Amino acid sequence: MAEISHSTEEDAIPFYPDHVRTEFRVTVGITIVIILLGVIGLFSPVGLGQPADPLDTPAHIKPEWYFLALYQLLKYIDKTVGATLPVIAIVLLALWPFLDRRPDAGRKAKQIRFIAVSIAVVVLIAMTIWGEIS
Amino acid sequence: MRHISRIIIPISIALALVLLSGMVGFITTHAGAFSSLDQADPNAKQTEFDQMRILLSAAGSNTKDATASVNLPPPEKDPCLHCHIAGEDKNLWTPFIRWSIFSGVGLVFAYGFYRSASTWRTRLPWKPIPKRAAEWVDERYQVSEPLSKVLNKPVPKFALRWWYCLGGITAFLFLVQGVTGIMLSFYYKPTPEAAYASIQFIETQVRFGSAIRMIHHWGSNSMIVMCIAHMLRVFIMGAYKSPRELNWVSGVLLLGLTLAFGFTGYLLPWDQRAYWATTVGTEIAGSIPGIGNLALVFLRVGWDVGALTLSRFYSLHVLVIPLATVIFMFAHFMMVRRQGVARPV
Repeated sequence: MAEISHSTEEDAIPFYPDHVRTEFRVTVGITIVIILLGVIGLFSPVGLGQPADPLDTPAHIKPEWYFLALYQLLKYIDKTVGATLPVIAIVLLALWPFLDRRPDAGRKAKQIRFIAVSIAVVVLIAMTIWGEIS
Repeated sequence: MRHISRIIIPISIALALVLLSGMVGFITTHAGAFSSLDQADPNAKQTEFDQMRILLSAAGSNTKDATASVNLPPPEKDPCLHCHIAGEDKNLWTPFIRWSIFSGVGLVFAYGFYRSASTWRTRLPWKPIPKRAAEWVDERYQVSEPLSKVLNKPVPKFALRWWYCLGGITAFLFLVQGVTGIMLSFYYKPTPEAAYASIQFIETQVRFGSAIRMIHHWGSNSMIVMCIAHMLRVFIMGAYKSPRELNWVSGVLLLGLTLAFGFTGYLLPWDQRAYWATTVGTEIAGSIPGIGNLALVFLRVGWDVGALTLSRFYSLHVLVIPLATVIFMFAHFMMVRRQGVARPV
């Protein structure tokens, strides 16, 4: 069981004001980006497509980008399986800490997880791009 | 590092002013808000004042039929009632100079009041008002002790790398989404007839409307990206392991809520893309075995995407999901504070 580490004075900085100041700077940076986005939006708005028409199905329907990978998967596998899979995946993901109970012994476990995550991310990005261009 | 705060503070004050004035502009007016005052509406209801004017002019011209409506030129109305003194030459600089002088004098008076009020009555040495206010509150509610406990919690040095701020950025983006979302909801109308037109109105007529919509649009996308990035960071570093299991579970729920935000918000513009993406998305939910039809009917409120779907998605988007997100975020933060940041192996 990983201990709950209560940091001592020497290996920590005070939350206030030192850490709050750092966080504040990050916030200011993001705010600048947001204002820039707004300025861009003034000149080229997000815009709208054609008004919704339930009787006219467009040729290429696409969901938002974060569902594109799933959507692409659904074109090639059975619909029932494709709809059940993400539900199972999310339940599995939520319960993962209860399945992977062994505390990390060294850096090895971390590296394995890093490789697994990298592969998953690459596959997801590839599926998303595939869904976008197809 | 003192010199950096000399740059940061003016920058942040300037940013706050820009944001505030933008928000005030967005909330108060839109282009053409006063256009109805520019040309007189012939069908407008006559006020008592107008009737009196008609009666007086009729009496002056010695006409018998005093009640007959006389075609008078419309009364001159000032489109900007607080900017000008009636009848003066109207340009941009007159109100600008006037308000600059007023606010300059006001600032001098405010500062004088501030200095004098800080020493008034007590006759003690001068003390800034915020400090006095803090002492006043603390005297009554004893907040300084628990507050200092919260503020003095040390942050371990290993948690000062950039990848530890992804979760915080997600939370900040949630705040941004909340503020811009509230602003958009001032003008948005969740009915199939009006939704599309109301977004067109926001984009073309409302001051900074397209900027606010742009921020809301990209904020939602980057919030999902940041949420996933934070999750991957936690996963790779093994920070989800015992005793932090519930923290991970609440995080997964928050990711699901973020995706639900995106899914429900996507329908609201009510254009072809939104309509058919929702049709497809709810269809996928409908093909889950067992609960599929129930999920489909819950999401669409019937078998088709229609007016009820739109109002349900709107309600989910602005009431239900934000409330759930706030609750889970609070739990998430409390658990992090209680247990501290996980030490990497």
